[in-house]
Amino acid sequence: MERRSILKGAAGSAVIASTLGLPAIAQAQGRKILVIAAGQDIPNFDPHVATGYSASMLHRNTYDGLVRVVGAPPKVVPHLASSWTISPNGLEYVFKLNTAAKFHDGTPVTAHAVAYSFKRTLRLGKGNAWMIAGVVDPNGIEAVDVQTVRFKLLKPFAPFLSVLPWQFIVNPVLVETNKGSDDGQEFLRKNIAGSGRFKIKRAEAGNLYEFERVASPWLAGGNLDGAIWKIVRETSSQRLMVARGEVHFAVDLTSEDMDSLKDNPAVVRVLEPEFRTFSIKMNTAHGPLADINVRKAISHVFNYQGMLDAAGYAQLMVGPLPPGLMNDPKLKVPRTDLEMAKRYLAKSKYPNGGIKLTMVYVTGLEQQRRWSLVLLDSLKKLGIELEIKPTLWPDMVASTKTPQTTADFFPVYQTGNYADPDNVAFASYHSSRNGNWQNPVYNNPKVDALINKGRGEIDPKKRAAIYAELQQVLVDDAPDIFGVLEKRRLAYRKDVQNFVFTPVASNAIELQNLSLK
Amino acid sequence: MLHYIVRRILLLLPVLLGLSMMVFAIGRLLPGDPVLLAAGPNATKEEVAALAVEFGLDKPVAVQYWNYLTGLLHGDWGRSLQSRGPVLEDLKVFLPATLELVLAAMLIAVVFGILLGLLAAVKRNGWIDYSVRLVSLASISMPRFFLGLLLQLVFAMWLGWASLGGRFPLIASPPPLVTGMLTIDSLLAGDLPSFLLALQYLALPAMAMSLSPLATITRMMRASTMEVLQQDYMLTARALGIPPGKLLRKYVLRNALTSTLTVIGLYFGWLLGGTVLVESVFDWPGIGLYATKAIMMQDFMPIMGVVLTIGTLFVTFNLLIDLLYGVINPKVRLG
Repeated sequence: MERRSILKGAAGSAVIASTLGLPAIAQAQGRKILVIAAGQDIPNFDPHVATGYSASMLHRNTYDGLVRVVGAPPKVVPHLASSWTISPNGLEYVFKLNTAAKFHDGTPVTAHAVAYSFKRTLRLGKGNAWMIAGVVDPNGIEAVDVQTVRFKLLKPFAPFLSVLPWQFIVNPVLVETNKGSDDGQEFLRKNIAGSGRFKIKRAEAGNLYEFERVASPWLAGGNLDGAIWKIVRETSSQRLMVARGEVHFAVDLTSEDMDSLKDNPAVVRVLEPEFRTFSIKMNTAHGPLADINVRKAISHVFNYQGMLDAAGYAQLMVGPLPPGLMNDPKLKVPRTDLEMAKRYLAKSKYPNGGIKLTMVYVTGLEQQRRWSLVLLDSLKKLGIELEIKPTLWPDMVASTKTPQTTADFFPVYQTGNYADPDNVAFASYHSSRNGNWQNPVYNNPKVDALINKGRGEIDPKKRAAIYAELQQVLVDDAPDIFGVLEKRRLAYRKDVQNFVFTPVASNAIELQNLSLK
Repeated sequence: MLHYIVRRILLLLPVLLGLSMMVFAIGRLLPGDPVLLAAGPNATKEEVAALAVEFGLDKPVAVQYWNYLTGLLHGDWGRSLQSRGPVLEDLKVFLPATLELVLAAMLIAVVFGILLGLLAAVKRNGWIDYSVRLVSLASISMPRFFLGLLLQLVFAMWLGWASLGGRFPLIASPPPLVTGMLTIDSLLAGDLPSFLLALQYLALPAMAMSLSPLATITRMMRASTMEVLQQDYMLTARALGIPPGKLLRKYVLRNALTSTLTVIGLYFGWLLGGTVLVESVFDWPGIGLYATKAIMMQDFMPIMGVVLTIGTLFVTFNLLIDLLYGVINPKVRLG
């Protein structure tokens, strides 16, 4: 009661202070509380159910995985697991757990807890389960002893370590006690059963989530006592707040916001490439674009420079995979070349154009609208008309169920969920993803085979060769107009220390090592 | 009287039933696939199907509707496909914030609207009247979100008197939860500093919301006051030498208020349904933003929950207004 009234006094004086133009985060009065402005709510805490960057932020700070991913290029480092061994055939992984690791209730994180968590993930089939479903044998997860856990894989899976930072370990005793009829989903939706450095102190849906450092975290880290994930929906408000010092971090900024923060000496801008690609997918299964020559013609008539100019802070893609994920530097992707485009079109059923194609884009996404216009302008040169249809996102998703309902051009942002080429390759080009928006229609058995081979190969050199071949096949087949990589746009106050950018889940800020001056 | 109330409440049921049926039908007729959307891009076909079964969406629409209705009777408002949480729980969080905003806006609008309207009518064609008319015309014409941005610019950016948004200082603990309305909860806890803080955050969005009803109420009040002032009984009252203050309170205000009440009732519903823009500008975590997000994701159950809540509140509030007519003007007989 006493502390609250002190806090309130502090807050009250801060309101007066802010009248005098002092930054409002001086409110913390000795307590180091990092405030992050972000657009996304965290309506569900369950690490085996919830997805999205806000949920990832909550999970990576309140739970732990066997490993963590840090830096750029991203590296997998030990976390709950202090070491591991991989069998030569890549089918068996054995992890030794760090004995210091403790859940928030003080009980140790055991091999049993790890096995329990992976089995629960696979049982529920939600959240990040797709990363390990069909890879980890549910009957092959075994706690060898308290400190050792063994995974048997159904087939070799090279990205296994890369998906592990996103598989979080829950406290089995707590979940079992509150299991209910839904495997603890109701309990974990609002409660934390983790071992992370922070726990949730306050949750106000749609408004803010306050994190508090646990009394004695098992791993050393920065000096934060807590953090607040404040939901600020307008990016311009986020920008104002970070500029005025009302928050320490703003994670969803536009290029224009970044420009206006350029001269602010108290703000550090982060403009880094990440594994998030933007491509315009073509309907390879239905309509005129089923003809490879039309697709190739379009790939060569498209105004790439125009796209880049309209993109703000971005770089052009130089292949189907983003740089840093086994992108092949020798690969040659199509660039604007009208003569070449005309030659390809001449080989098609529509040598003089005269067709009308459709492109959908997400209503309200200004960037996609601009790129649609670039395409419209480019296609005119081949005598092809383009109808641009702004469409609500749910309708766009639903339209991808069949090739007939999918538009000729379908724009897709492909977010990197884990730091491995398999992520983008599988999600964007494997035919098992057909009928959903990441890859509505593209189906090429040769590509499927290469993707499967790539995920199964554990020798890095051989893997690189497989992905080089895959990318060449994809460029030859032209299923997409390979677009741009928009740079991640974050800004933080100078008094935040030890922030290290990593191109995976980069706006799901990891608090672990952060400090405030 | 009791008879009347019971009858009106019974009449409410078919209204809400019809409303729910309509929204349910529209939700299901829309193109789009909310289950596919909620399952995420990496879900297999089996996982998508399992999600549909879990939420009962594999059943025929009529059965789904029946299940929804029977669920309502047991206090089960369904679950959100996106958050997988119960809708009722969300409504309990988001509705009080919106109610607080709407009630504060209505309070400002009613108090100032009535006063200004009376004043303008009494001082008809004077400078007060002209300025009130000018301001109210401008207020009606100005979109709420734009006014919100202007208020932010002046009071938060230039003067620094208020926060850009939110309901309460980030690091202070809010008062113990009773109604969910921070101003009322802090008063209930006898916590004056918290009350003042909450008020400070409430002021700008409430002002932005209040201007349009304020202007309408002012104009209504002005017109009806002028009408009352011309009545014979006013002449009589004046001839009897009743002091002007009493005259205004007892004869003018009461008689002029009836038509203004109707506007207040209608505006309440209008504000409830239309908070979303102001909520966005001020990051006010209310039902408007909640509903918008649900609509964007075609998340049926939250949409149903919001529509039914607003519908019920609207009808109830108008019932209260109807009852108030009788209190203010005994000539209006209910029953």
